[in-house]
Amino acid sequence: MNIFLRELKANLKSLLIWSAIIILLIFMAGAKYSAFAGDPELLNMLDSMPPALLDALSMSAFNLTTISGFYGVMFIYFALMAAIAAAIWGSDSISKEERDKTVEFSLVLPVTRSRVVTAKALAALVNCVVFVLITWVMSLVAVRSYNPDQAFYNFLALEMEAMFAIELVFLAIGLLLGCSMKQYKLSGSAAIAIILTTYFMSIMAVMNENLDFLKYFTPFKYFDAGELLRTGKMDGMYLLISAAIVVACVAAAYWFYNKRDLYI
Amino acid sequence: MSIIEVTDLTKYYGKARGIVGISFNVEEGEIFGFIGPNGAGKSTTIRLLLSLIHPTNGSAKVFGKDVVAHGPEIRRDIGYLPSEVYYYEGMKVIDLLKYSASFYNCDCTQRMHELSETMELELNRRVSDLSYGNKKKVGIVQGLLHSPKLLFLDEPTAGLDPLMQRKFFDLIRAENARGVTVFFSSHILGEVQRLCTRVGIIREGKIVEISNIRTLQQNNYKKVRVTAEGLTPGSFDLPGVTNVQVEDGMVNFFFKGDINTVLQKISAIQVADVTIEEPTLEEIFMHYYE
Repeated sequence: MNIFLRELKANLKSLLIWSAIIILLIFMAGAKYSAFAGDPELLNMLDSMPPALLDALSMSAFNLTTISGFYGVMFIYFALMAAIAAAIWGSDSISKEERDKTVEFSLVLPVTRSRVVTAKALAALVNCVVFVLITWVMSLVAVRSYNPDQAFYNFLALEMEAMFAIELVFLAIGLLLGCSMKQYKLSGSAAIAIILTTYFMSIMAVMNENLDFLKYFTPFKYFDAGELLRTGKMDGMYLLISAAIVVACVAAAYWFYNKRDLYI
Repeated sequence: MSIIEVTDLTKYYGKARGIVGISFNVEEGEIFGFIGPNGAGKSTTIRLLLSLIHPTNGSAKVFGKDVVAHGPEIRRDIGYLPSEVYYYEGMKVIDLLKYSASFYNCDCTQRMHELSETMELELNRRVSDLSYGNKKKVGIVQGLLHSPKLLFLDEPTAGLDPLMQRKFFDLIRAENARGVTVFFSSHILGEVQRLCTRVGIIREGKIVEISNIRTLQQNNYKKVRVTAEGLTPGSFDLPGVTNVQVEDGMVNFFFKGDINTVLQKISAIQVADVTIEEPTLEEIFMHYYE
């Protein structure tokens, strides 16, 4: 419990910064939407754009002049931010102890390494939950003036669930990187590299039919906003794959951290 | 009972040598000095005993338990003062000490305040505002507050002023008098000589000598100085005599062997002054390193 609480406190600053960024994003987007709302000319303009471009920007599935459609386009930005924040929280909470050399204090205490990983992972998880809730609440505030219908609220809830699922996947990946990599400087960059790679894979999977198989390798495609809007639910198989990734990464994280030498 | 038993302990960092085939025991209640130059493997040995790193080969037991299998259990009764202390920068000293205390089954508040008072530590300052020496004081209090049975000190006096060093040594002696075993790693021989009963000398990852400080000094070279008129470098041309230096009618040399042969030689001369001394640990140490 003491590690968990200390960790929460230490993570607070990072959570506040990320929250400020996403709140800014939500309100800037809200201001932008006010220009699109109910504007038929925009639709005509979008229709004249090359379909490949719309695919790349994941805009083809949505009607930008409705709030649901607009939030569908926004989802990928939420997802990217959530992924980056979660991965950094996961990897940093472990690797910062070695970076700051506090590991010679914190792991000479009578604690098992597993207990340390558990406490830190839970603290990072709390950050993830709070981050989603803030995104959710701020979105509700931002769209209030457009009087959205129940369908929008349902879609928003689904998006937030998907955002949380993405956070879980990248939190687990970040945790694994932090626990397994002795070179603490690399674990954060490795996490970002994985996020960007999987993000571009998700774009390639849409743009090129031959690369369609890539969709199985990128969590961004597991929770595609267009599909969420169309089907109204998350795909069971992708949820299963996500759960498998999370379990595998977390198990591997514990295994590596118990086995490896700490970098002092 | 041996508090520490190290058997053929080996650690390689990739291909780089840490320590190779080290074996030694530390008995309950003793202050064991562990001396060697930088990079000899002193810190590596301590980190292996604390299970911060895992051995490549061999094994080590503390309190009769294997360090790899029972690390957390063993560490309940261990205090550790690293050569450089690093704590969470944003925390206040008092919060850090309370945090540390919360991991041990003890009410350490009173002891914490006593120790802080002895070491003149200001509890309300932030760790990030502390000087190197003050951080070291935090380390001393933090390492001792749970009344450990075994203390690991890794070059503990660096950064402490002479006054604090003395207080620190008094503290360690008092702990030792209570029955605490101390593993004292250092390259400053004077302090090892003052404090320790037994020493292990480590060099390039290997133990070159383990013995009592007294026997180490007795079985070693004697330093002989003779003042008399008309002495030449050849005056003491005996087996066992080395390092002969002559200046102003004074001959200095090291001697190892039957001291009577030297005494007979001296008694044949009209001398003004004679001293025969045991070498300092420093001089023995240099001998091992040459």
